[in-house]
Amino acid sequence: MLRQEGKRRWFLVWYILPALVVYTAFMLVPIINSMRLSFFSGDGLIPNEFVGFDNYIKLFAEYPFNERFWNAFFNNIKFFVMVTLYQNILGFLMAVLLTRGLRFSAFLRKLSFIPTTLSVLVVGFLFSMIFNPVWGVFDQILRVLGLESLIRPWLGDRLTALPIVSMVVSWQFFGESIIFYTAGIDAIDDEMLEAARIDGAGFFSEIWHIILPSILPVVGIVTILIFVGDFTQFDIIYAMSTSMGNPGYSTDIFGSLFYRTAFSSPERGGWGMGMGAAVATIMFVFVFVGVGLFLIFFNRRRSKLS
Amino acid sequence: MRKTAVLALVLLTLVAGISMAGGGREAEGTTKLVFTSWRTEDIERMNRINQVFMDENPDIVVEFQPIKDTEYDAQLKSSLETGVAADIVFLRSYDAGLQIWDTGILLPLNDVVPALADFPGSARGAWSSPEDDLYAVPFVGVTHGVYYQKAIFDKYGLEVPETWDEFISVCERLDANGETVFAQGTKEGWPLYEVIFSGLGANFYGGEQARQDLMAGAVKLTDPQFVRAFETLNELQPFFPAGYEAIDYVSMQQMFGTGQAAMFIGGSWEIGIFEDLGSGQSEIGFFPPPVENRGDRLSYCFHVDAGIGINAESENLDAAKRYIEWASSPEFAQLFMEELPGFFAYTPGSYSLSNSLANDMIAAVEGADVTVRTVWEKMSAQSPSGNTLMWEALIDMYNGIKTPAEAAAHVQRGLDTWYRP
Repeated sequence: MLRQEGKRRWFLVWYILPALVVYTAFMLVPIINSMRLSFFSGDGLIPNEFVGFDNYIKLFAEYPFNERFWNAFFNNIKFFVMVTLYQNILGFLMAVLLTRGLRFSAFLRKLSFIPTTLSVLVVGFLFSMIFNPVWGVFDQILRVLGLESLIRPWLGDRLTALPIVSMVVSWQFFGESIIFYTAGIDAIDDEMLEAARIDGAGFFSEIWHIILPSILPVVGIVTILIFVGDFTQFDIIYAMSTSMGNPGYSTDIFGSLFYRTAFSSPERGGWGMGMGAAVATIMFVFVFVGVGLFLIFFNRRRSKLS
Repeated sequence: MRKTAVLALVLLTLVAGISMAGGGREAEGTTKLVFTSWRTEDIERMNRINQVFMDENPDIVVEFQPIKDTEYDAQLKSSLETGVAADIVFLRSYDAGLQIWDTGILLPLNDVVPALADFPGSARGAWSSPEDDLYAVPFVGVTHGVYYQKAIFDKYGLEVPETWDEFISVCERLDANGETVFAQGTKEGWPLYEVIFSGLGANFYGGEQARQDLMAGAVKLTDPQFVRAFETLNELQPFFPAGYEAIDYVSMQQMFGTGQAAMFIGGSWEIGIFEDLGSGQSEIGFFPPPVENRGDRLSYCFHVDAGIGINAESENLDAAKRYIEWASSPEFAQLFMEELPGFFAYTPGSYSLSNSLANDMIAAVEGADVTVRTVWEKMSAQSPSGNTLMWEALIDMYNGIKTPAEAAAHVQRGLDTWYRP
């Protein structure tokens, strides 16, 4: 019996092996190599001069690198908070409505997922056109509504650029949250909801006392997905405000900072591959630690509730 | 055992198939050259030029595969690094090109193309190593100035301005009549620096001499001459269109090319783009940067833009050398300047240009103090580069966040962190 079990364990290794090899070759090795690069500097294509922690010191403490870095960091946090709010709250409310058995809910469920299937670059371009001050339809709608005084250079203003970009991202991935939440709500035992209704629970107390606690793990998963997505987000910034994070770096986040510093020539805002690798390493550590903390937080909440 | 043998056979066949598919050789014994550049808008024109070469050299097929401008440097670097780069590559002037040369991946051209010795020294200097190895054919120069819609100027009886005061009063007249004066936006920083500051500013900061002094450390950007240039250029801001903070480069071109604005401060490379948008040489005109006082010598920013080099690891070196040799000939220069009006070849020779805009641009060189973009050479070799500092400063100045003096100080502060004259 024991021997047989041992044999079975060894067999498992063979199942894991293909994925492990691919994962090691295409993920682990490049990640470790990129971390190694962050300790090097040099003008060439591959940095070859060992500089120890210099790149990190520069990044955290030397003007203008620290300014760009902290700016990207705080922008990224703002971006994450905005996207989480838009996407979670709207996605959740939409999901609650869609699971109420309204007439078009099956159709609406499908419809809400369509933006997610589009390319981020396409979505970015589309919204750049919508908000374009010369031809943009958004300003024209405001004009028709007589709200001309509200018109601003949406994507050219430091105050509005980032909120608009996060709205666009939320618009695109809003369907994903709906899918998660509807699945979570569908899984709630109907008897429990019925019992609550018989006890006289209203719409909001139903949401607050039954739906929300039951799908808290889903909220956790969605938030973690948004967290990972936002702290590695690059495409939407690139499409809507170039890799410079225009205007004046107000939409610059980790992804665009990394792309610009690592892959551009100094003439166009690059800092060399070594510095780029340092930015990438910090992004990695941040996302890694962040996901860990989120998991702990949501697990605690769940065990408290159950 | 047999299984292993079968597997090996399958693998061998696969590998053979892959290696036969590669190699870049066409079936009929011709050689394929891949030519890459950052100008995706030139595909058709470059194909026509290359067709002439292919007709003369039937054994070579030249494929033009440009990459989007903003991605070009990254892609060129990684493709050279991984050995999948094009055979013939566009190279940026000064330090960006030099950085690629330093990796030893470009072929020195001094002996390959002897004719290069006759090219103008200033152009050769932009693609030469400190040891005088020339690694690219100086290929394209561009100029900067102001385009205007003739119909709008005629409507108000406006004359082409020569001095800055005349220029401003033209702006005021247009503005008073409700016209959109400039198709200018500040969403992207590079047009502000490359075209407005280097192009129109040179007349105010003191042209080529000032640039040399700046490089040598004799003057700073915070000195009155440069601050005055920032101040003078800031006078244009009231004439920018509504929402200019959010107008990107492509929208700027579309606006002017479709006749929605009277003037466009731009570069010679835009002739073709405007023509495609319906503003050809009969619809629009060009005037060089306005000088301060009538009769002043024009400081003309004639920037070294692109060189073409050979990837030394190319499998088709001989064909690439033949192409480069042809690309340094007057025949090519004439073809090229006709196909791409607004791009000026450095190849010695006398040329006649049929495009009047291009002719006006080249005519202005006569007697002018020729310079290049302000902080391009040396001062953009490291980060924060002069170029990006200028982008940041000018966006902030035009968006009203920094005063002209603060903008100048911002650039100097950044340069001071690393630039040692």
